[in-house]
Amino acid sequence: MSAMEKQSPETFVRFSPLQRLLHVAVMIGFTGLAVTGFSLKFSDQWWASGFAWLVGGAAHLAWLHRFFAVITYGCVVVHIIWLFYFKLVLKGSITGPQSLFPRVQDIRDMFQHMGYFFGKRRTPRFNRFTYWEKFDYLALFLGMNTMGLTGLFLWFPEFFSTLLPGYFINLAQVLHLYEAILAVALKFVVHLISTHLRPETFPVDKTIFTGKTTREKMMHEHPGELDSL
Amino acid sequence: MKPLMVKTKKWLPEQKRIGRRLLFCLMLFTALLGPQGLEAAITPDGQPGWFVDMGRFAASAHGTFSCEQCHGDMKQGGTMHPDSENPAFLKAYANREYNYQRCQSCHKPSYEQYLEGAHAKALKKEQTDSLAKLEQLPESKKAPTCGNCHSGHYAKAHLSRVEIGRKMVSVCGACHPAQAATYLDDYHGKAAVNLGDKNAAFCTDCHGAHHCLSLKDKKEALAACQRCHPEATEGFAQVVIHPTIQDLPEDDTEKRTHVALIRIVTVLMSILVILVVGFFYGHSFIWLLRELHEKLRKHK
Repeated sequence: MSAMEKQSPETFVRFSPLQRLLHVAVMIGFTGLAVTGFSLKFSDQWWASGFAWLVGGAAHLAWLHRFFAVITYGCVVVHIIWLFYFKLVLKGSITGPQSLFPRVQDIRDMFQHMGYFFGKRRTPRFNRFTYWEKFDYLALFLGMNTMGLTGLFLWFPEFFSTLLPGYFINLAQVLHLYEAILAVALKFVVHLISTHLRPETFPVDKTIFTGKTTREKMMHEHPGELDSL
Repeated sequence: MKPLMVKTKKWLPEQKRIGRRLLFCLMLFTALLGPQGLEAAITPDGQPGWFVDMGRFAASAHGTFSCEQCHGDMKQGGTMHPDSENPAFLKAYANREYNYQRCQSCHKPSYEQYLEGAHAKALKKEQTDSLAKLEQLPESKKAPTCGNCHSGHYAKAHLSRVEIGRKMVSVCGACHPAQAATYLDDYHGKAAVNLGDKNAAFCTDCHGAHHCLSLKDKKEALAACQRCHPEATEGFAQVVIHPTIQDLPEDDTEKRTHVALIRIVTVLMSILVILVVGFFYGHSFIWLLRELHEKLRKHK
């Protein structure tokens, strides 16, 4: 992640083609999961049952949900393989200051940034990843694994109820629902605002799609990383 | 033309306005009540009353029957029935007055299943209990006979599986509201009732039509699960479909513990969601305000 190739003096590569591809795939998979999942949860509402009718009923809804789940979790698997490749072959650091690994500095950054919200302090000198980007990433990474596990419980309840008591299927249901609400409430609002919709970046920050960022943006958003180069 | 015109009375604008308002109110009233609403309005507790809407009766499954085919010659104890001299008669529940054993002459298998089932057991217990105890029970807690679940006058024939299943939620739910609510919160209820999936289970698919088993017996519960989930094992039958302690016996500590665990996890997850979402929504909102403020200040 610290390998910052310089394309031209003013352009930096922030995301590799694989990372960009995974982001788009997760976007599609996550949205598909949210739409099909909530169409079941809120199936007593006209919009949800209407969508379910459009895709051909409850059984199709269930298979679509599993299809998107396989896409999304496939991205997690590819990402984990890439992490190993990055660590073992490219000899990169997955815990260093320029990585997504949480550090004590992030908590200090958060308080300083909140001080900036109230006009008391300056914005912190963020490294490659800010604390909210780390939260976005880690919440999704952990969430996809727990959602994947509880989802498997609900996909194969006959099998899992031979390993664990039956009410674990109920607990998996509860966890799956509330994590879904949490994920959707964060990704579709907090993530969109902090990366795209706030005045600094409005209407869209193209970096995750093109992979490129400029020196000016780097100085503004990730000065700590620029210093380390 | 002219003589007619003479007879036509001219309406004053005020009368027209009042007339229109009255018409509007009447239409609103009927729209709000609807045909089912009207029936509910004249029959308290949703119980079938003494009045029969012959129009709806004619469209029902029994619509071609004559009254005597089900009600006999209407003579009971030598007097004509109903006894118009008895003021208490119309206050009695029509269902309880009707001899449900007559249904078996056409619906023998269903009747026999009913006799083997949990509702008939409850009825037997009721009959051996003291009358005073029965009087105290609300109508929804008394053991049902045929007419409590099936409308002899209005039930339609040739309904689809999903149509019948959707009716069950309100019919069974009338006496088992917590079970109906938890069923609708479960995957079975959502797929079957909300999304009309005919492969998903309705009330009677698990509990049995007319048998109406509580499925507290573990073997019975497993057999019910295996009708759709052939690989189901004992553990699978312990998945809680109705996470409620309504009508659960005091000594069923196992299910009580499971329901309590489900509730605790639900509460903890709700708190987690509220805290995390609350924090980050506030964070985003104040951040937006700060950046807007800076942007506007720069433009000054």
